[in-house]
Amino acid sequence: MASTGTVATAAGAGSGRGVPAAKAASRRFRLDLSKTPGRLRLLLGILVLLSLAWGALAAFTVNQYSSAASNLVAVREPLSLDARQIYHDLSDANDTAATAFLAGGLEPTTTRQRYLTDIQAAGTLIETASAQGGATLGGASKDLATLSTDLPIYTGEVEMARADNRQGFPLGAAYLREASSLMNLTLLPAADDMYAAENASLTATSAQATGLPFVIATIAVGLGIVIAVAWVSRWLRRRTHRVLNAGLLLAGAVAVIALAWLAFAYSGARGDLLTAQSRGSAPAEALAKADITALQAHADESITLIDNGGDQNGADEKAYQREKSALGPGPGTLLTAAETAATGSQASGGATAAVRDAQAWYAAHVNLRKLDNNANHTAAVGSALGSGPGSGPGDARTAYTNLSGDFVTGIAAGQATFAVNASAGADAFAGLEPGVIAAALVMAVGCAWGLSRRLAEYR
Amino acid sequence: MKTGARRVSGNGKRSAAARAVAILMGTVLLAAAAGCSAAGAPRATGAARNLAARDGAHTTTHRTTSGKARAKAPPACDPTAASLRPPPGTPRITPSSWMATIRQRGHLIAGVSASTYGFGYFNPINGQYQGFDIDMIKAVATAIFGTADGHIEYKSITDDQRQGEITSGSVDIVAETMTINCKRLKVMDFSSVYFDANTRVLVLKNSTATGLASLGGQKVCATKGSTSAGIISSYPVTPRLKLVAVPQFTDCLVLLQQGQIAAISTDDAILAGLKAQDPFTKIVGPPFDPQPYGLAISQQHPDFVQFVNAVLAQERADGGWAHSYATWVGTPVPAPPPAHYAD
Repeated sequence: MASTGTVATAAGAGSGRGVPAAKAASRRFRLDLSKTPGRLRLLLGILVLLSLAWGALAAFTVNQYSSAASNLVAVREPLSLDARQIYHDLSDANDTAATAFLAGGLEPTTTRQRYLTDIQAAGTLIETASAQGGATLGGASKDLATLSTDLPIYTGEVEMARADNRQGFPLGAAYLREASSLMNLTLLPAADDMYAAENASLTATSAQATGLPFVIATIAVGLGIVIAVAWVSRWLRRRTHRVLNAGLLLAGAVAVIALAWLAFAYSGARGDLLTAQSRGSAPAEALAKADITALQAHADESITLIDNGGDQNGADEKAYQREKSALGPGPGTLLTAAETAATGSQASGGATAAVRDAQAWYAAHVNLRKLDNNANHTAAVGSALGSGPGSGPGDARTAYTNLSGDFVTGIAAGQATFAVNASAGADAFAGLEPGVIAAALVMAVGCAWGLSRRLAEYR
Repeated sequence: MKTGARRVSGNGKRSAAARAVAILMGTVLLAAAAGCSAAGAPRATGAARNLAARDGAHTTTHRTTSGKARAKAPPACDPTAASLRPPPGTPRITPSSWMATIRQRGHLIAGVSASTYGFGYFNPINGQYQGFDIDMIKAVATAIFGTADGHIEYKSITDDQRQGEITSGSVDIVAETMTINCKRLKVMDFSSVYFDANTRVLVLKNSTATGLASLGGQKVCATKGSTSAGIISSYPVTPRLKLVAVPQFTDCLVLLQQGQIAAISTDDAILAGLKAQDPFTKIVGPPFDPQPYGLAISQQHPDFVQFVNAVLAQERADGGWAHSYATWVGTPVPAPPPAHYAD
C-alpha cells in the first residue's frame, strides 16, 4: 500500500543494512518522541502497564469483596449467632435453675435436663469460640476469658444450692442467689458484650462487602483504559490510515466485557448482601435483643416467687417491670423495633406473634402476682411452672413459652433469609477474580500486539 | 434514755402515747365543738383510732397504766418491760379492733425470714414456712381465725426491711428474730419477750478464734439492719473488726464457706441454725449482749399488741411455747421468758 511505503521511507531514513546490531538495538529503544515510532513505543508501554495495573487493582478489589462476602457467610454470621446463642443458653440456664427451686420438693426431671443442656451447649460454644482464637474475636477475647473462668464457678454454686436444698436447708437459696448474681453481674454482661462485638464485626464486614470506593476506582480506571485504547486507535488511524487495529480492538472489547462483569457481579452481590442485612440479620438481631430482655424478665418473674410471699414492691418485681417496659410494645421499645425491622421479611410473622404473646404474658404475670400477693403462693408457683394448682390455659408458663417460641421462629426465619441472600451475594463473585486477571493479560497482550505490528512497519 | 417511758405521756415530744393523747384530746375538743358527740365517748382517728374504738375499760386501763408508768418509770429504757399488759383471760377480739380488721380481711400478713433455719425459713422440701418464729405467728393466726391454715400471708423480708414494713403498715406483725431495743421502741411496738438470745460467734471448725476479741482486724459478717451489725462495728478491739453486711445470714454462711470472712457474729439462736446447715462450723466464745426477741407491731395498733401478748401468755401457760422450743431449738426446754409489762 502506498501509505505504508511513505511512512516506511520517512521512518527508515537513518536505518540501513550493515548498521551494528547494538546500535540498532539502542536506536530501537530510544524514545524519540518527536517521531512516530517513539510515540508508539511510549503508548505501547503505557497501555501495557495500565492494563496490568488495572488487572492488579481489579483482582485486589474483587478479592476484597468476595472474601468479605464469604467471611460474612462463613465466619462473622456464625460467630454472631454463637455469641447470641451463648447469651441465650446462659440466661435460660439461670432461669431454669431458678424455676427448679420454685417447684419445692424434688426438682422436675425436665427442668434439670433443660438446665444441663443449656450449660453444655453454652460450654461447647465458648470452647469453640476460644478455639477460633483472638484473631477473629478482637475485643471479645476478654469477654470470652471471663466466660470460660466463671462458668464453672457458676455451675459449682448451683450444685451447692441443689445439695443444700435437698437437705431442706435455706442455705440452698443463698447459694442460688449467689449464683444468680454471678450470672447477672458477670457472665451475662460478658456474653452481651461479646455479642455486641460480634455484631459490630458483622456490620463492619458487611459494609466492607458492599462498600463503593474500591469498585468505583476499579471501574474508573477500567473506563480510562477503554478511552485510552479508543484514543490510541483514533491516533493510529490518522497516522497510519489503517481503519482497524485488531490488537487494540481486542483489548478494548475485553476491557468493556470485564468491566460489565465486574459491575454486574458487584451490583448483584451488593443487592443480595443488603437484602441479607435488611431482611435477614437486622430483624433477627432486633428479635434477639427482645428475646434476651424477655428471658431476663422471665427469670425475674421466677425469682419474685422464690424470695416468696408478696414481693409486689420488691426489687425483683421492679426489675421485671423495667424489662417489661423495655420490651414494649410501644414507641422506642424492643418489640416494636423488632416488628418494624421485620416488616416485609420472613421474620415478620414471628415478630407480630411476639407482640401479641408478650401482652398475654404480661396479663398472666399480673394474675400470678395477684395470686402470690393474696396468700396463694402455691397457685402462683403453679402458674409459673405450668403444672399443679394454678396452671392451665393462660398461665404464665404457657404464655412465656409461646412468646419464646415466637422469638425462635422469627430469628430462625431472619437467619435463613440472611444465609440464602448472603450466600448468593458471595457467589456472585465466583470466577471473577481469575476472570479479571485473564482480562488484564489479554488487554496487555492485545495492546502490545496491536501497537508492535505498527511499530514493526517502521523497521 | 429518752425512750425510757415511751408510754408515758409527759416524756417528750416523740412519745407515741403523748401523740395519741394529744390526738385524742384534739378530737374530743373538735367533737365537742361540733356538738355531735356524746361527752366522754370520743371517736378518734389516726393513731388513736383503735385505741378509742376499743371498749372503754381497756382504754381506761391503758390511760391509767400510762399514768402510773410515768410515776414509777425508771429513767432508763427497759426493753424487756416495755410492752402493753393484755386484759386478763383468753385473747378476745372486740368489734372495730385491728384483730377484727384482720379477720375481715381473711389473712394475717406476717413479715418473716425465709432463711433463718429453726426460726423462720422456707423449707424447700415441703414448700412451707417453718420455725419457732413461724409457730408464734401461727398461734396469733389461730387466736384470730380458729385455725392458722390458709390464714397467713407470709412476706419474706430481710432484716433491713423489718422496720420499714412495720412503720409503713404493709405487714401486721414481724416475727423475725427481732431484738427489742430502745431505738426500735421509738418507732414500733413490741410484744412481751418470747425468746432470750445472746450474741455469740460462729467460725470454721479449724479456727483458733475464741470470740470477737480474738478476731481484731478480720472480717466478721452480719445482716444489714441487725443489732449484730452494730455490735460488730462498735466492738472494742484493736484493730477494729471489719463488718461485712449482707442481706441474710445464709449469705454470711456462703461467705464463710468460701473463705471470704473469718467469722459470723449474731444471736446464738441464729448461729445454731447456721451450724446445723454446716457441721464444719462451731460456735465459740462466751454469750454476751443479751438479745430479747419480741414480735414487732405498728404503734398504730396497741390493741393488737395487747392481743398478741395475751396469745403469748397463753402459749407460755399451755405448753405451746415449750413444744415449739423443743421442736425448733432443742431440749432441755428452759422456762419461757417471763412477761414483764410497762406498767
